Amino acid sequence: MKNTLPRETVRLLIIAGFSALALYLVFYIQNLLISLVLAFVIFYLLSPIINLCERRGLNRSVAIFTIYSINSLFVVAMFSVFIPLIIDQLALLEQELPDLQAGLLTLVSKVENKLQNTFHFEEPLFRENLRQWMISQTSQYTSLIPKWISDSLTTLFLTPFLAFFMLRDGSLMKRQLLNLVPNRFFETVLKLLYDMNEQVGNFIRARIAEALIVGLVTWVGLLVIGFPYAALLALFAALTNLIPYIGPVFGAIPAFIIVFVHSNILFESMSINILAVSSVYLIAHALDAIFIIPIVVAKIVNLHPVSVVLVIIVGAQLLGVLGMIISIPVASLLKLLISTFYQQTLGPRRPLH
Amino acid sequence: MVQFLWENVLRKKRDENNVLSFLKKSFLFKDLTSSEVDFLAHIVHVRHFEAGEKIFTQGDPGVGMYLVFNGNIDIIMHDPSVEPRHSKIEEIFITRLEKGDFFGELSLIEDPSYRSASALSVTKSTLIGFFKPDLLQVIQRNPHTGNKIILRLAEILGKRLRETTEKVTELVTELNQVKVAEKGKSSEKHFTS
Repeated sequence: MKNTLPRETVRLLIIAGFSALALYLVFYIQNLLISLVLAFVIFYLLSPIINLCERRGLNRSVAIFTIYSINSLFVVAMFSVFIPLIIDQLALLEQELPDLQAGLLTLVSKVENKLQNTFHFEEPLFRENLRQWMISQTSQYTSLIPKWISDSLTTLFLTPFLAFFMLRDGSLMKRQLLNLVPNRFFETVLKLLYDMNEQVGNFIRARIAEALIVGLVTWVGLLVIGFPYAALLALFAALTNLIPYIGPVFGAIPAFIIVFVHSNILFESMSINILAVSSVYLIAHALDAIFIIPIVVAKIVNLHPVSVVLVIIVGAQLLGVLGMIISIPVASLLKLLISTFYQQTLGPRRPLH
Repeated sequence: MVQFLWENVLRKKRDENNVLSFLKKSFLFKDLTSSEVDFLAHIVHVRHFEAGEKIFTQGDPGVGMYLVFNGNIDIIMHDPSVEPRHSKIEEIFITRLEKGDFFGELSLIEDPSYRSASALSVTKSTLIGFFKPDLLQVIQRNPHTGNKIILRLAEILGKRLRETTEKVTELVTELNQVKVAEKGKSSEKHFTS
């Protein structure tokens, strides 16, 4: 027993060293973190399909290659339809942006005036701050676009590459890492990795399904009511829907700003547009709340709603939007880790009789 | 250096072949075809234990089974009245396992599973671990192979149940005989007094 201690210590040190280095690299190179997160998303989305192909007798590498080829065709077809649409709508938005900004400021002025008249304020409340914020944001985003495009291209090439090797050699890599785990922790770590894998996989699949449903219903709904920027707003709603609880609210804000600015009326009479837009977003989220959340998401994320909101705030503080999206799976993994550790060290064991 | 590398590569290959032939001979995997055993060899875990090293302790959560590739393993039970995590407790020796034997298979099926006895490596040993996540992986990726393993596992558990039932019946019979004998003795005493 005495001889095993140094070997175990060395193994633990190697694991700790590798983990620290990997974490440092991932968080230091922001692009790598995004690529890795996206590669995990692809890995968890394609894994069940590749397992299905393997069950039908196809070799795993051939299955991955086939699925990758089919998916590439699908992605290219989708991009050739969807991307030009988004680009057109972005160009249109760019043209209309000064009008929208001016409209928003007028709208804010009206609200401010109403508040000042009602509560008898003398000082302007937030009109000037909003103007300054909009100017800074616009100039910031204009200067950030070239960097954003180059980052996206790196991510676009790196992500499928990483996902391919995760799908092909993931099991082998996991086994080699497990070889380093000392005997006394081996079963615990193996079980923990399995549970984590299941939890993250189910979470990602459920979230993507939710985002797709919300995006698609919003797109169709906005097209039906003849609302401008339907594709762009649907994409935004789908992406923000990845953030639990507060995401759907964020997702609807741009549409409502457009409605308010375009209708240029407030409080006097309710425009029919507001009702129509509200209905579209409500239907999209009702479908999500009725079908997806109770069936899939609620079973996966076993965190209290208050904890979820707190975790999202912490995620936003640490890693911005990406932090808000990944904070929930990370928190549920931490919960699993802590409960396993507790079970192994202090938790109750089966009574012997 | 080159010789060392070659030796290492060759030894790794030799070890892999040994594991393959060992798995083929194992009762649990004897229905599998060569390609299925090859697939399985990439899923199981080869673990090395020092002499005197604990493999698991009675009452611990269990995740799967071990096959003895080489070395000797003692299966020990602890005095049920004492918590097994405390040292200096009464140990009852159950059996010594050797190459080809396996143990802990109940953990592949039970959920949650706790070890019903402790396992200790008596000599330097190599074990092949096959755990519940591995079985689930086999079922997901190759259900045909998974079914064959589960059928064998059911057979093993059935055998164990039959053995346990026979043992219990034997013990009940012995207990009845003791009771009858004691009754006879007491009535004899009563008669003489």
